[in-house]
Amino acid sequence: MAHPQIAAFARLAEGNAKPTREIAGQKTLITRTIHDMAYNPDRDEIVVPQFYAQAILTFQGGVNGNVAPVRMIFGPDVGLQNPMRVALDTVNNELYVPQERSIYVFPLYASGNVAPLRILKGPNTRLTNSSAMVVAVDPMHDLLVVTGGTGGGAQGGSGQILFFNRTDQGNVKPRSVISGPNTKLSGQALFVLYPPRGMILVASRGQNRNHPGNFVGVWSIHDKGDVPPRYTIGGPNGMLRDVRGVTLDVRSKNVIISDKYVNAVLTYHFPEIF
Amino acid sequence: MGTRRMRFSRGLRVFSLIAILALIGAMSGFIFSARSLELAGSLELAGGPRLVSYEPLPEMDGEMCQWVPASAAMSAAAFRLPAQGAGEAAGGPQARPSDAEVDEVAKRSPVRVIRDPNSAYSGIAVDPVRNEVVMTDENLFSILVYDRRDNTPPSARMTEPKRVIQGESTDIEFQCSLYVDPATGDIYAVNNDTLGKLVVFPGDAQGDVAPVRWIAPPHTTFGIAVDEEKQEMFLTIQDDHAVVVYDKAAAGDADPTRLLQGGRTLLADPHGIAVDSRNGLLFVSNWGSSNQRTRPPSDVQWRGAGRETWPVHRNFSVPGSGQFSPPSITIYPIDAKGDTPPLRVIQGLKTQLDWPTALSVDPQRRELYIANDTGNSVLVFSTEQGGDAEPLRVLKGPKTLINNPTGIFFDGKNNELWVANFGNHSATVYRRDAAGDTPPLRVIRSAPLEDPAPMLGNPHTVTYDTKREEILVAN
Repeated sequence: MAHPQIAAFARLAEGNAKPTREIAGQKTLITRTIHDMAYNPDRDEIVVPQFYAQAILTFQGGVNGNVAPVRMIFGPDVGLQNPMRVALDTVNNELYVPQERSIYVFPLYASGNVAPLRILKGPNTRLTNSSAMVVAVDPMHDLLVVTGGTGGGAQGGSGQILFFNRTDQGNVKPRSVISGPNTKLSGQALFVLYPPRGMILVASRGQNRNHPGNFVGVWSIHDKGDVPPRYTIGGPNGMLRDVRGVTLDVRSKNVIISDKYVNAVLTYHFPEIF
Repeated sequence: MGTRRMRFSRGLRVFSLIAILALIGAMSGFIFSARSLELAGSLELAGGPRLVSYEPLPEMDGEMCQWVPASAAMSAAAFRLPAQGAGEAAGGPQARPSDAEVDEVAKRSPVRVIRDPNSAYSGIAVDPVRNEVVMTDENLFSILVYDRRDNTPPSARMTEPKRVIQGESTDIEFQCSLYVDPATGDIYAVNNDTLGKLVVFPGDAQGDVAPVRWIAPPHTTFGIAVDEEKQEMFLTIQDDHAVVVYDKAAAGDADPTRLLQGGRTLLADPHGIAVDSRNGLLFVSNWGSSNQRTRPPSDVQWRGAGRETWPVHRNFSVPGSGQFSPPSITIYPIDAKGDTPPLRVIQGLKTQLDWPTALSVDPQRRELYIANDTGNSVLVFSTEQGGDAEPLRVLKGPKTLINNPTGIFFDGKNNELWVANFGNHSATVYRRDAAGDTPPLRVIRSAPLEDPAPMLGNPHTVTYDTKREEILVAN
């Protein structure tokens, strides 16, 4: 795209609303391929992977304009290759970055050339390639949740949701797996957890753009095996055509979804899961 | 879980306050996004006691209490949750909803949609033979053709294009740059991402039509330039920090004829590209971040396997080799290939480069025009400059209407300079030598200037700022 940015919109924004602020410009060090980011309410910070420089950037939460990050993880000891995704655990102060068939864990507030605390990696993990993998941490249930294809690239194969113990490392098996044709998972994008209800909301893309099979599926962290989603938002055969991001506005009981084909951000009221 | 002790450094009153708030927090639940633990608010404990261990609260089942407003929040650092196995914690296994409930939710419409209904111009080129100006639109996925002499009146909402290429058959999505063949009027439009195609349309194409030809260049192709004399097409590849050169008539999954890639090239997130065939020069704008690559062994399967002119893919980047460099304009011989260093580099604070995005060159006057996105400016350099050079001219200011320029085109026939402003639904045209805060000669708009431009383009990740109650969206 011509212009990368991190734009902030008011909760009630709609139509061609003006962003309340925009993070963009040379000093920000951001560029394209912002495939994930995280807001840390504990320190009021925004964490963004930098794909080309193999870095993780952290911005002050209220930043506006062409402003430099307050710190970054960056350097040869960090060992990142093509970081696209991040996840924060602000209870245990850890930062998760999926890599090629592995997950790196760093101290959340580390800066500079820091080595990972631990790495989850190996054939038993069932982890696939990094472009398809997304991670999140549920510190309430001490879970590390990983979504991604079962193999074959970002859109290849069918989808899966893997549950590990939060502190797992090395070549360990997931404690449970959601996968199979009944899940309708394929070409997954991002996901979000809601631990108070044990919910996981997964953006599921079809195999092609403008695909009627796009939806956000809702599972419980207690689900296992080849189980269909408890709910689907926005489809199938709904408005979503190339769903990518999903997040929660818990206060308003809303699910917020980004869609590349619609080139839009959609807010669904969904009190059932809260 | 074993019993833990709570220790505190101040008196019982402070402890009681924390304990009460902890209970409220536990009963209210916590927000854990995929990226974070979001506690609904923040208890300011700066300088005060910190909770370092705690007594676990009783396990809870069933419905949680109503969520606490974000303004009544607690600090995550004040709470350390006990480790619990799945199925045992608050909000344990719950009954599946009925089919009717599932169906109702699946059919539910969004309550709000942030989406710009207007075209957002990204790339721009002029067809001086047919007196047309052509623009790519990254918002509504279209190519728009206007009369070059159009000028949207201040009272008008917009100018109607002469032709629009748009629809499922066109293979147009996030087109970030384009080239118009001066002889035939053919339009070459580059898709930077989702569709992975460079599509070619006849100059008179309109509607939902398929391209007459397409090329599948490496992923994340951004800029395009053509040497008409040699019938060569030059493309920048962001992911690969590379320039590839194709025969202009190439089609399908053709191989590039040349590749410029490697650490000595100083290519780093390349965007715009321009060629000066008269003086034998190639120009590339770089945003500055990059990493090192190692070409894989011949037995490794990838798209570039057995293709020597295919750039080394991101999967073969060296872990931990990433770099941040200042933005630059790198200048090469037009026939550069391999790991060739630039002849000159324009780089430094005096240059004012700030996300230099698109380039256009005036071979006669040896001037290089730069759409300087977040500088909200057009920078003009001599093609013979290098180092930390000041621009010859800077076009910038509120009267110019330049706002996040991502496209630029020098029209040598009419001695005009065109700018596509992604930030305000406009294309603006100036005299060739305009400088300072100069108003445009003409403006073509897709919406009123005062209409907000969300600048959504390829929105991917989204998260929620609970402190400000804002939706954060990244392109």
